[in-house]
Amino acid sequence: MPNSLIEIRGLSVGYGNIQVLRGIDLAIEFGERIGIFGPNGHGKTTLLETISGLITPWEGEILLKGQRIDSWSPRQILEAGVVHVCQGNTLFPRMTVLENLYCGAYSRRVWKDRRRSIKQVFQLFPRLAERRGQKACTLSGGERQMLAIGAGIMAGGEVLMLDEPTLGLSPAVRGELSQAIQEAARGGIAIVLVEQDFDFLSEIVSRFCMVEEGRIVFEGKPEQISGNQVLEMYFGGAAGSPGGCRETD
Amino acid sequence: MDIAGLSSILVSGLVLGSLYALMATGLSLVWGTVRLFNFAHGSLVMIGAYIAWTVSDAKGLGLGPWAGLAAAVVVMFFVGVLIERLLARPFIKRENAVIIVLMTTLAASSFLDNSAQVLWGPRMKRLAPLVTGKVAFLGSAISMQELLVIIVAPLILLALGALLKKTRIGMAIRGVEQNPRFARLAGINVSRTYAITFGLGVSLAAIAGVLLGSKKFIVPSMGDDPMLKAFIVVILGGLGSMLGTVLGAYLVGFLEAASIFFLGLYWTPALLFIVMILTLVVRPTGLLGEN
Repeated sequence: MPNSLIEIRGLSVGYGNIQVLRGIDLAIEFGERIGIFGPNGHGKTTLLETISGLITPWEGEILLKGQRIDSWSPRQILEAGVVHVCQGNTLFPRMTVLENLYCGAYSRRVWKDRRRSIKQVFQLFPRLAERRGQKACTLSGGERQMLAIGAGIMAGGEVLMLDEPTLGLSPAVRGELSQAIQEAARGGIAIVLVEQDFDFLSEIVSRFCMVEEGRIVFEGKPEQISGNQVLEMYFGGAAGSPGGCRETD
Repeated sequence: MDIAGLSSILVSGLVLGSLYALMATGLSLVWGTVRLFNFAHGSLVMIGAYIAWTVSDAKGLGLGPWAGLAAAVVVMFFVGVLIERLLARPFIKRENAVIIVLMTTLAASSFLDNSAQVLWGPRMKRLAPLVTGKVAFLGSAISMQELLVIIVAPLILLALGALLKKTRIGMAIRGVEQNPRFARLAGINVSRTYAITFGLGVSLAAIAGVLLGSKKFIVPSMGDDPMLKAFIVVILGGLGSMLGTVLGAYLVGFLEAASIFFLGLYWTPALLFIVMILTLVVRPTGLLGEN
């Protein structure tokens, strides 16, 4: 039995000639809630897209329960239990809420349990139950994000990777999402949360790492740093190592 | 215009519209999902008719018209899959995939037309009708085969709609059409979905070929004219819109029937193109197409 659910070793990724990730090492434990934080354009989304197989790495290894998955297709990786709710355009706009959720359970592994799973999703997001027959393109931003996360939960994975789920949402909707993600995580699913909103991140995760210029520059627990230190990390680079955090470089 | 004339226009319009709907829906399905045009679609109508003739006719296997129809649908599904594998998939990720696949499928069209000439010979063939006899319809006597076309085509299209709406593979096709990137993340095998879509589209062409083959003679060029009309239908109805395609098909069918009745055969193609161009001027996305 491997120690970690996902283990990333020396991961380097880029687009064309431009290198984005530079030797990332990261381990995600079974049932862990980990946050990935950092400025825009520094590789957080690329990291998730590489784990889910949308991007092929230049170098390094990604292991899921000890098995290398870095050359697998997104479908194979999903079948193995890694679910990715990507940023922005993550729905089938002309399908109804119900159809989008069923598509989330498209994998044969979970298709037969789709009706049971949908009840769980509707418990987490009662608003989706009310709008089950409505087309996704007619939903509000918050409802779309709920639907995207709901579809991710329908996939029944062991790890749910969420890329900036609160982007452009009101504080009230953020609160609903935070509750739902925490509730989903209680079932034992690991959460990898990429987020710019540190308050939202710290409500959910037990550990976070900061990605800057394609490297993990800090790893620590959210309660170990203050709001000012977050601002300093965000705008002032890796200048001030917060107390209790591990400076990785 | 007397009642008989009106009835003749209605019946011809329904028959033509039904045939165009079958052909154009296949074309539209492929465009909507894969975003590529299959220019061999007309030739595949013809090959479908020849396969049905080979299986059904006494000079072939002699298994009867229904066996011919079934064989054409099944064989042509796999021909569609093969076309996707050989002529579309290798180029699908290229920036100019639409132009490349236009050329590869045009080449396939030429190859199929000439192969049909070699395989089945130059003599015209005709399929036995699936049903025989005459029936009174809208005040005039029409053949049972025409009535079958009028009834069966909408039923086939409804079945296709149900397949797309209610089944797992249908969801995959619609998912890939609407958001291929998300479809991949949802675990949908996009390449396989493209192949199945091509197969379904070509099967619909084969059904149109079988129905057409009992109405007109089967010759290697029999798909050329319906192919042109199917393109008008798809563009008129709105690229990628199934409902628009069906609406456009019946509109073109009725327009063609009325034009032949009032203006004659000579002016009909020009009229259809004028209507298509005027529609695009008013609604650039076609009748029900989206931006």
